[in-house]
Amino acid sequence: MSGHLPVVTGLGFITPIGNDRAAVTASLRAGRHGLSAVEFLGNPNLPVKFVGTVKDFSVDSPNCRDWTWPARYELPRETLRGLAPHGVFACCAVMQALEDSGLAGAVADDPRTGLFCASAGSAMLLHHHLAQMHAVGGERGNPMGVVSSISGTLNFNLGAHFRITGAVCGFVSACASSSHALGYACDEIRLGRLDRVIVVGAEEHNADTVLPFMGMRALSRAADPRLASRPFDAERDGFVGAGGAVALIVESADAAAKRGARVLAEVAGWAQSADGHSVAMSHPEGAGLRRAMTAALADAGVTPAEIDYVNAHATSTPVGDRAEITALQAVFSAAGAHPRISSTKGLTGHPLSMSGVMEAAFCALAIADGFIPGNAHLVNPDPACAGLNLPVATVEESPRVVLNNSSGFGGSNVCHVLRRPAG
Amino acid sequence: MSSSSSTPSPLARFPAPVRDAYQNFLALHQPADLHLVIEAVLLDFVPKGKALSVGSSIPAESRLVEDLGFDSLAVAEIVFFFEDLLQVSIPTHEVASLQTVKDLQTFVERKLAGGAQAPVATR
Repeated sequence: MSGHLPVVTGLGFITPIGNDRAAVTASLRAGRHGLSAVEFLGNPNLPVKFVGTVKDFSVDSPNCRDWTWPARYELPRETLRGLAPHGVFACCAVMQALEDSGLAGAVADDPRTGLFCASAGSAMLLHHHLAQMHAVGGERGNPMGVVSSISGTLNFNLGAHFRITGAVCGFVSACASSSHALGYACDEIRLGRLDRVIVVGAEEHNADTVLPFMGMRALSRAADPRLASRPFDAERDGFVGAGGAVALIVESADAAAKRGARVLAEVAGWAQSADGHSVAMSHPEGAGLRRAMTAALADAGVTPAEIDYVNAHATSTPVGDRAEITALQAVFSAAGAHPRISSTKGLTGHPLSMSGVMEAAFCALAIADGFIPGNAHLVNPDPACAGLNLPVATVEESPRVVLNNSSGFGGSNVCHVLRRPAG
Repeated sequence: MSSSSSTPSPLARFPAPVRDAYQNFLALHQPADLHLVIEAVLLDFVPKGKALSVGSSIPAESRLVEDLGFDSLAVAEIVFFFEDLLQVSIPTHEVASLQTVKDLQTFVERKLAGGAQAPVATR
């Protein structure tokens, strides 16, 4: 069974805090956020002032011919024609991860390599193509309209571009999506069905993806980025939307060893549990998350006391953070354990479908590079946090076992336990 | 160049000589002008760039799929481009008849002259 232990062998980052591993690590260590001022729809009256943006890419236009991206990434037209803007982020993140893992050129046509993706699709392109279709009474439409816009656009396009012949699938559970993708990828490996899976989470940070959350009253109205995204703070008032792409390559320990791959972290276990409570709001006591954390620890064979660091889902919403705080108290404080806990969304904003795999990747960085990210914008912790260990600054310690939480609409909760590689 | 509608013409991002050639063809109906436009659009949509290069004259008998490397999706894309440009809808059975560059040119000429078969979009 240990030959089938899933291990992380490659990472690719296109995020608000950096477009490669070195930049992301530096931002996490320095507590440097990637939130940019925004004026959605050219409307200065909107209370939403910030979004976590990807730099050095320009993918705002509905016409892919207008897009620009860093020259190091080659994207042929036959791939570009079917992509959503966040598909450009994702292709680049996967190329980076393949290079990082030493697998560039090696995964095409390999039936033991899979691809699991997560995004909500491109609301912007969906809107654009449907408006075009409606304008002509349905008489014609862009042949790439469907594949470039619906949820699944990532797996459709990346599966073809990278010629993936193992399992190719998409996951749709809102902010838990890419955590689901990673969990099921680990299962494919543990079951011996695949040697490796490229796990991708991506999302756009444009008005069509982010602004609808304002109608849900879920977005921060703060005029200062450090006040806008401050998970666990008593004064938090909502999240800051964000976008980008992260790719994480997970392989069986045997497959990694066979090709002499460098291992960043092991995925010791994972689990999920649901709230059964509300379409949009967390269970007030975080009941599903509590069960998911407990089950993930059991799956990994670790006790609460052995967890050195928890990367919380906490998005900076009053209700969501409170649910997670309650669940953390129940799992850890009640067991006399006080792991360091932080939400890196203070720096990145909340990239929706991308957050699970992004934060799992941050956990792998913490293990591989030997640091624990702090809660950069935390000034006055919510009183409910009493007893929780919430460092503000980066902790220069090398965590051995790390827990990553994700929660999504409908009450999905997914947790992974990552561990320093043995030996 | 700029049209009176609020959405940009599909030719908006093409170089000025291409846009000028299109306007000239609408006015004077010289086939060479339309051929320049079609070549530019073909170059823009061809999946594998090695089949065509800028400035090379594409033989009229070149087959879109076998000779120029278009796949059926790219043919559908180029058809949609002309549907959008000409504001017409092209039925599937007509698309199937577009095998060569010459077929495409003849087709576009006919549509611009008000070909009877395709329905014109109404708002």
